[in-house]
Amino acid sequence: MEPITVYLLVLVCIIIGGILSSLAVHLMPVGGAPAAMATATGIATGCVMLMTGAAVTGLFTASTVASFWVTNPNVILVALSGAVGSMLMMGFTMFVGNLIYIFGAGIVPCSGRVAVDPITKESQTEYKTPRTDGHGVPTVSFVSGILGGFSGGFGGALIYVMLVSDSYAHFSVATAGIVAMGIFIANAIIAAYNIGGTIEGFHDPKFKARIRTGLTCSLIVSALCGVIVVIAMLTGTLVGGVM
Amino acid sequence: MGEEEAKQAKQEEKEEKAKPKEKFKLSFDYFNESRLGILALIIGVLIAIFPGLPAFIKGIGIMIVFAWGADSVRKTARYGLGTGVPSIGVLALGFGIVGGITGIAVASMRFGTLEVLGGKVEIAFGVLAGVVLLALLGFVSGNLANGDKFINMKIPGLERGMTELGIAGTLAVLIETSIVAGTYDPARVLPNVINNGLIAAIFIISAFGMLQPYNTCLGADERRARTLLMSIEIGGIASIILGIATTLTLSAVQGVPLIVLGAVVWVVFYRAYMKACMDEAYATPGTGLIKTLGG
Repeated sequence: MEPITVYLLVLVCIIIGGILSSLAVHLMPVGGAPAAMATATGIATGCVMLMTGAAVTGLFTASTVASFWVTNPNVILVALSGAVGSMLMMGFTMFVGNLIYIFGAGIVPCSGRVAVDPITKESQTEYKTPRTDGHGVPTVSFVSGILGGFSGGFGGALIYVMLVSDSYAHFSVATAGIVAMGIFIANAIIAAYNIGGTIEGFHDPKFKARIRTGLTCSLIVSALCGVIVVIAMLTGTLVGGVM
Repeated sequence: MGEEEAKQAKQEEKEEKAKPKEKFKLSFDYFNESRLGILALIIGVLIAIFPGLPAFIKGIGIMIVFAWGADSVRKTARYGLGTGVPSIGVLALGFGIVGGITGIAVASMRFGTLEVLGGKVEIAFGVLAGVVLLALLGFVSGNLANGDKFINMKIPGLERGMTELGIAGTLAVLIETSIVAGTYDPARVLPNVINNGLIAAIFIISAFGMLQPYNTCLGADERRARTLLMSIEIGGIASIILGIATTLTLSAVQGVPLIVLGAVVWVVFYRAYMKACMDEAYATPGTGLIKTLGG
């Protein structure tokens, strides 16, 4: 491939990865501090912590799968394996969270933002304790979280594999991993500021209202990050890690 | 009656005078937000472009950079970010990693590093490319987060805060890399800092140096000088960790003074911080779990 094509491909893949990670954060069921008392729907932590945990798991599975090839790892397969890792991590987190909410706190998982679960078509309002904002992780939020895991893991692993593959950037494994994580975190935090606290998933009215702004910001931030990484590639000094 | 009232008023005045709250002498009053920023930028850039300096001078550099980062976190996070204080500190280091690695890549090019005095002193101007690019990225993301057409967070000075955090994060990564590797040559940096995973420790200790002070101290009676004491204390802890790493990668001559500096700074600033907390608190009953300092 022509060098200019390689640089453009890396830039485009970093932008796609960044936008996917921003979308992932918008899909997470994030409850924040109120969820720790089971008075809000979602996992009891911030967007960034939840998404970073999922994405780092995705990077682990992706780097393991990427090491199956001696040269030229298959980009789509590695990115998909990252997505699977992230989905598993999100699934376990939400499942164990729900176990604790249901059997420990004794609440029924239900959505606080919609009256009827869009997937199971079951009514939610009867199960919501007055003056709370929902509880636990209901079905629709679980599905949304799994989709978010897919999107975030795919995005993070896509950035990673473009940086580590010897036909593209050819950084060392650790350099590619930490740079992918840096770009991912920058995007995830801008998206978290866009959400501003808590979100339940794609059925939340907040999602529809804010997703366009979030993706626009992520496009600009990841384009800049991509340009910076391409500058690092252009110097040619990081090529061919020792490991 | 009148006399008594006057007496009482006098006594009250005396009582007010008799409780000097902010007793701790090391004051950051002269170094207000702008002055601290300029000082930290100048010192940080000077230390970052001379990778041949002894490690303990670079250790002082990271403490000043941490204080600057913590100050920026303080001035942006006090308006409420909605996602907690840690997010902006981690953002700074997410930026810092990208900028640091770009800076190292540019510095290792032929024009990136100038050798003067017959090749004895290296001046790595190239790392400034990473600093400048990340200042730009920080400014753009600050504008995105604060702009009314975009996220519209309505936080005064967020643009400046994010620019400063981009620069401070990059400088922290660069200085810590140059402490451990002693140079910006990728042949040394890649195996000693990045491929062995030390970069992850650098990431998280630098993030803690910037986010932890305000995260711990925030509240109604938060005072800037007290918050910044903690950032310098974390700089001491970071120096100890990096000193151990430097002893393993470079030599004990570089590593041991850094460990000693870190330990002294840690003890001195931990004591100062605890003292300031106890002086300014209304009352401090001890739990008996940790031996409180004179409390």
